Amino acid sequence: MVTLTLNGKQVQAEEGSTILQVAESNNIRIPTICNHKALEPAGLCRLCTVEVFDGRRTRFVTSCNYPVWEGMEVTTDSEEVIRHRKMIVELLLARCPNNDFVKNLAAEFGVEAPRFKLEDDDCILCGLCVRVCERMGIRAIDFSGRGTEMEVAAPFKVFTDACAACGACESLCPTGHIKLSEITDKEVHRIPSEFNEGLIGRKPIYIPYPQAIPNIPAIDRSMCAHFINDGCKICADLCPTGAINHDQQDEEVEIDVGAIVLATGFKSFDPSRYDTYHYADHPNVVTSMEFERILSASGPWGGHLIRPSDEREPKKIAWLQCVGSRDINPCDNGYCSGVCCMYAIKEAVIAKEHSKDPLDCAIFFMDMRTYGKEFEQYYNRAKEEGVRFVRCRVHSIDPVPESDNLQLRYVTEDGRVEKDEFDLVVLSVGLEHSAGIEELAERLGIELDHYKFARTGSFAPVNTSSPGIYACGALQGPKDVPYSVMEASAAAGAAASRLAGARHSLVQEKVFPEERDISEEPTRIGVFVCNCGINIGGVVRVPEVAEYAKTLPNVVYVQENLFSCSQDAIEQLVGVIKEQDLNRVVVASCSPRTHEPLFQETLRNSGLNKYLFEQANIRDQCSWVHANDPDAATVKAKDLVRMAVSRALLNEPLSMPSAPVTPVALVVGGGVAGMVCCLNLAEQGFKVHIIEEKEHLGGHALKLNKTWKGESIPEFVSKLIDDVTAHENVEVHLSAKVKEVSGFVGNFKTSIASNGGGDVLEVEHGAAILATGAHSIKPDEYLYGKNDRVFRWHELDKAWETDLVKNAGSAVFIQCVGSREPERPHCSKICCTFSVQKAVELKERNPDMDVYILYRDMRTYGEREDLYKKARALGVIFIRYDLENKPVVKETKGGALEVTVIDHVLGRPVTLRPDFITLATAIYTRGIEELAQLFKVPISQDNFFLEAHMKLRPVDFSTDGVFVCGLAHYPKPIDESIAQAQAAAARAATVLSQKYVEVEPIVSVVDQEKCIGCGLCEASCPFAAIRLVKVEGTGYRAENISAVCKGCGICAAGCPEQAIDMQHFRDQQIFAAIQAGGARG
Amino acid sequence: MSKLQSQKDYEKLRGQLEKERDPERLLVSLCAGSGCGAYGTQEVREALEQEISKNGLKGKVEVKVTGCHGFCEQGPIMVIHPEGIFYPKVKPKDIPEIVSETIVNQKVIKDKLYKDPVSKKRISKEEDVPFYSRQHRIVLGNNGIIDPSKIDDYIAVDGYSALIKVLFSMSPEEVIAAVKTSGLRGRGGGGFPTGIKWETCRKVHGDTRYVMCNADEGDPGAYMDRSVLEGNPHSVLEGMIIGAYAIGSHHGFIYVRNEYPLAVKNIGIAIHQAEEYGLLGENILGSGFDFAVKISRGGGAFICGESTALMRSLEGKIGRPRAKYIHTVEKGYRDNPSTLNNVETWANVPVIINKGAEWYASLGTEKSKGTKVFSLVGKVRNTGLVEVPMGTPLRTIIYDIGGGIPKKRKFKAVQTGGPSGGCIPEDLLDMPVDYQSLAEVGSMMGSGGMIVMDQDTCMVDLARFFLEFLQEESCGQCIPCREGIKRLLEVLTDICAGNGKDGDIELLEELSGTVSKLSLCALGGTAPNPVMSTIRYFRKEYEAHIYDKKCPAGVCKELFHYEIDEEKCNGCHICFLRCPQEAISGEKKGPHTIDQEKCIKCSICYESCKLDAIAIK
Repeated sequence: MVTLTLNGKQVQAEEGSTILQVAESNNIRIPTICNHKALEPAGLCRLCTVEVFDGRRTRFVTSCNYPVWEGMEVTTDSEEVIRHRKMIVELLLARCPNNDFVKNLAAEFGVEAPRFKLEDDDCILCGLCVRVCERMGIRAIDFSGRGTEMEVAAPFKVFTDACAACGACESLCPTGHIKLSEITDKEVHRIPSEFNEGLIGRKPIYIPYPQAIPNIPAIDRSMCAHFINDGCKICADLCPTGAINHDQQDEEVEIDVGAIVLATGFKSFDPSRYDTYHYADHPNVVTSMEFERILSASGPWGGHLIRPSDEREPKKIAWLQCVGSRDINPCDNGYCSGVCCMYAIKEAVIAKEHSKDPLDCAIFFMDMRTYGKEFEQYYNRAKEEGVRFVRCRVHSIDPVPESDNLQLRYVTEDGRVEKDEFDLVVLSVGLEHSAGIEELAERLGIELDHYKFARTGSFAPVNTSSPGIYACGALQGPKDVPYSVMEASAAAGAAASRLAGARHSLVQEKVFPEERDISEEPTRIGVFVCNCGINIGGVVRVPEVAEYAKTLPNVVYVQENLFSCSQDAIEQLVGVIKEQDLNRVVVASCSPRTHEPLFQETLRNSGLNKYLFEQANIRDQCSWVHANDPDAATVKAKDLVRMAVSRALLNEPLSMPSAPVTPVALVVGGGVAGMVCCLNLAEQGFKVHIIEEKEHLGGHALKLNKTWKGESIPEFVSKLIDDVTAHENVEVHLSAKVKEVSGFVGNFKTSIASNGGGDVLEVEHGAAILATGAHSIKPDEYLYGKNDRVFRWHELDKAWETDLVKNAGSAVFIQCVGSREPERPHCSKICCTFSVQKAVELKERNPDMDVYILYRDMRTYGEREDLYKKARALGVIFIRYDLENKPVVKETKGGALEVTVIDHVLGRPVTLRPDFITLATAIYTRGIEELAQLFKVPISQDNFFLEAHMKLRPVDFSTDGVFVCGLAHYPKPIDESIAQAQAAAARAATVLSQKYVEVEPIVSVVDQEKCIGCGLCEASCPFAAIRLVKVEGTGYRAENISAVCKGCGICAAGCPEQAIDMQHFRDQQIFAAIQAGGARG
Repeated sequence: MSKLQSQKDYEKLRGQLEKERDPERLLVSLCAGSGCGAYGTQEVREALEQEISKNGLKGKVEVKVTGCHGFCEQGPIMVIHPEGIFYPKVKPKDIPEIVSETIVNQKVIKDKLYKDPVSKKRISKEEDVPFYSRQHRIVLGNNGIIDPSKIDDYIAVDGYSALIKVLFSMSPEEVIAAVKTSGLRGRGGGGFPTGIKWETCRKVHGDTRYVMCNADEGDPGAYMDRSVLEGNPHSVLEGMIIGAYAIGSHHGFIYVRNEYPLAVKNIGIAIHQAEEYGLLGENILGSGFDFAVKISRGGGAFICGESTALMRSLEGKIGRPRAKYIHTVEKGYRDNPSTLNNVETWANVPVIINKGAEWYASLGTEKSKGTKVFSLVGKVRNTGLVEVPMGTPLRTIIYDIGGGIPKKRKFKAVQTGGPSGGCIPEDLLDMPVDYQSLAEVGSMMGSGGMIVMDQDTCMVDLARFFLEFLQEESCGQCIPCREGIKRLLEVLTDICAGNGKDGDIELLEELSGTVSKLSLCALGGTAPNPVMSTIRYFRKEYEAHIYDKKCPAGVCKELFHYEIDEEKCNGCHICFLRCPQEAISGEKKGPHTIDQEKCIKCSICYESCKLDAIAIK
């Protein structure tokens, strides 16, 4: 350390530092042009000249490169120094009178007209470009010439290979003089951003995507100038914490594991090989993945819908389905990718939402495969919103000459050739096996199927061929997000049952910092306003809201975030709370339903009680519903923030009692899903009660013969029943029903009534799984119930060996019976596969048989498409009908069945005379409302149980400790049911394996001073959580039993004396919010 | 030539050479320095050798072609020993007479002797010529008697004896102490005490140290270093070896401009011969000390004489200076400790060792010791190289040695220190020439350039001339130097062209301040000197240009015209005859007039008029 005098003040400085560095750290600004943090100082512009007095004489030195020494006296702003600096600027202005940078500099220094003759240059020869080029290890440019002839140039002004076109020179040039095109004929090498599908570039140092974990930049060795030219290393110099180490090497780490879960995902199909689609050579033919990025708020254009060629907003967009799927020529992908129909519709709908002007969206498809939960409804809505659906496979995309547009030529269903011009064409590319999977599979010894997806069986859907190795997600076949998430839990569950003995042996307990006592602190509120990408920011003027928040009382800190929930934002929040001494936090973002726990945990991580958090939902209840009125939405967002702040002011820390967990599960439903779930939990070491309404286990699976892959269902089911029944941890309750449920997560008490309600058994359990299954409708059309040759789908299995079926010459399957109709809009998902499977079996048994399948869209998703292909090859005839022209089934006078259907190609009625008809009857639930009420779980519009989040929490209910699986959730084939059951078991185990659960303290509190002991509360509490107790001298007073209290608030609402409040929802908190809501200023 | 393995070997050789040397032997020394060479030394030499063999004198008369004797004005110079008869301006046609008369008959040819312009007397011996007699030639002294291509010549005059003394009887510290005591300061311009420089360099941590000789002499009109390197290269080499020994260096460079081909050649020969003798290279004379020297030829950029630029150039980079906040003695060539001295400084070192530091320190003034070589040029009778003790008054140099101003013109100023030196007016002529005094009057020692100007020199134009040179030679890196000099020149050019305006002098002063204080290196730092010193001493001349639109010296063509004073004109008609533009009219013996429309101000009439009838108006 040296001590020096800086502008009359004694300061300490590190030895070896320059005057400029010392001045900067003392907040003294010294002007400079040619200095740059990344470069060795050169002292060329001389603008940073200061006076140094050494005790004898004054010298003028450049502060950028003059090292400090003990006892020196530095004056950075003496009159003479300023005079000389002005002269330098005057000289520069005379040289470059028309350059904006120099003009600004002159204005800054108060230099007006130079006293010298004006030139017209724009290079000030600061040398930044030359020095950075040298630093990059390249030295492609240098000063050439001497004195007034000096200029920056490549040697002999000849383009050489030396220049790497890195652009460093151009980016550092302050005046805009340096143009890469004058230095090299090379193009700037753009590193395509993987995350943005190559639509834009990225830097060699990059964070793969905004929410990457860990959210830490990485250096791309193949692109980093240091690793290429041995130069640069600027990052290491600039990193304030010295975190960059260019010598780091990849490490091999060996870990001992008891199970492996493979989740390597998929790679999206590269359509370059389709030369007729011009994907490789036309910027406006993009893949659906690229289009996802275009739409994304964190995408290349911030969610602004523009097309790549000219960055103009498109007016017409086409989607082509099945690119790289359902196609064996030229790509060999015979399967259906299963997700493209849905994502194409979603993209079209969002594109329309994003577009300011009306946007024409057309989806060209073969079969619309919206078979997932609520997908069909979404499809219907898209049609209503004007998305055009054109049933056609388009064979070529033709660039329109002299325009960036593209023309599609296609054939309509009635055979006409049409032409249509689009601004942008999106190829709905399929999902392919993940890159490198063959090598991985070989190393792990797992089998792949003929499409190179991991081979799994229907009854153990996440088990690979190698014991202990599990597979989930698109690695084992194309699938969507909810199913992947579900399988992930299933794989975890399968692994957990294998490793049950080792549970908790490697656990690190999460410890929160000690809670800060804020009782004596003045209220300091921090408000964080989230853009949610463009979800909020695209409508609500977030900066305005943030500015507004600053004006609210007690708000001491306001910040705007792109994504408040991203890991870096969360980490930063912890820091801000500490730095700013915040003791209330308001996040104005999305729904507390999904994100409140995250932010609450963040508060705990920063030493605050989690109830000091308040969330304003300015997305779901604001930007989403007022998308067309940004002004009003902005005003409302301010209202919501103001309300949240007012409420936050009154938030108080609440302690969270914890309760021990009962490590017992209750499974409702004894079908395949229930049994699998039950067995998995039992194998994990938990005691399980399984309740079945009927007198035997097995459910509908008992009626089925084979899976679509040909596995025997009866064999599987009977073994399953045996295993469940025999397991020591399992208690089976037959002919039983749930009668009453009380308690909360970890501590449920359920009364089971069995034998028609005669016996009632109360069991304590920590978690419950609802696996009550579903039923097939009994239609009142197509002569069902009137003619015994008309079967429901599962009845065919039963009749399989009858003479009628065995000897039949002709069979008809009618699809979508009761499904996809206005009164039951959902797709029953399993029927297409079932019918095709049965048609194939019929044809295999009797090749001469005429088999017809009357369908609306053939939904043999995933690898089931193989079966569909096989059926056609075997001669099964598929006739498509539409809802307006449903088939008509009649019984002729001779008693024969006659089916008439309008053939969609011929446009004429076709009459078939089958020996029997199989109806693909819809699947629906029956009587789940009662159970829903008991467990306080919701039901969706199509009357299936509604999970906590359709995509991300597919087996959880929003009620903690209660889970769902099987057909009660939605129709699904047996393999998916089993996977879901395993997932539910895994999720339940996360509760059961805990020793304690924290109980939400949102319970009622009684102010016994106000209480008059009327007992109204006790009488009205549905949970027996409040009671009257005798208080000496005053009579009876109410008292809350907080462990039982569900926080429903009935007692508080009913109390005539207003003596009862709900913690965290006290009257005054709610009133404050309401008052603030009405107090728009 | 066999390698000398020890001090004894050396002494044996020297004894042998001394023995061979016959002091009575006839020897014709012919100056082949650049000045004399240009006047025709080569032809004279050929004629001489022819004539000698014609007269059968081969073997009896030795012809020695030497380096520069210094009196370049009088070249080619011939000195005939043992008498030391001095014949200036020798032409090949003079040779037969010189051979027959002086060499054969030992007679002095009076007509060919030097005639002192002051006393008008003929002087026969070189040492009696006033040009030489007033000098103290310790660096240049041997130039006239040795053949630079022969190491034996140098050894014969005690060459390398200083090195012997140092290697075998002095420690490096003692050598440094001696140099410190001598008071030797850098002769290249900076004047930094040489001993301190060496000492600092020796003390810096590091395995490799370098010594360097700066022979990038770039000042226009200055050729001191060139003459030493051409005429006595071994003295420089010996100085460097001594310096290397003192500093602890084993590698040396001589950075010499390629425009000095003879210097490059002679120093190359010298290095080769010294190596052959074992005076350079590994284990010098068995002392255990190693030192090797390489020649690096510079491309002629003036700026490469600046130490940091020179070292960058040596490194193979473009010669551009860097900030010297860390000195080159600490981080110089390839960031190693480096000692750079110029040719003259190195050449002084053997003298100091041989004659003693105290003796050396007895020469000169209190703070400027020893002698200094000046290249005296311009409007002075005896142009040439002049070596005088520090502190010698300017007047002595210009008038006593230089012989004063020719053509009855009046002295106006003398410019010292090269292009970025300052101009010293007549009333300061009695000042002593040393580092301090020159700095005090706004000029500098520089490397020893000295340009004398008479009344016909326009000081504004002079400043403009030097700035033009500096603009071209500025490396261009830093803004004040590159842009500032350009603008100084721009204003000066305007003034000279009659476009000067009120405020220009102040602008020049202001800009000069910025350029001198803020420039990166000494080139910019001193570049405004010509402007500042001429404004300081000749402000009136500037004002005449700006306000009266007159150039009193008659140089700036836009600002004067010639007029014929009818009273003085006697109608000799010479001007009429010589005028290339036929701008002069008049009859013989009648008055003449100049047609101003036709006159191009070539000054031929002005120069040719014997009656001073043509005046600058």
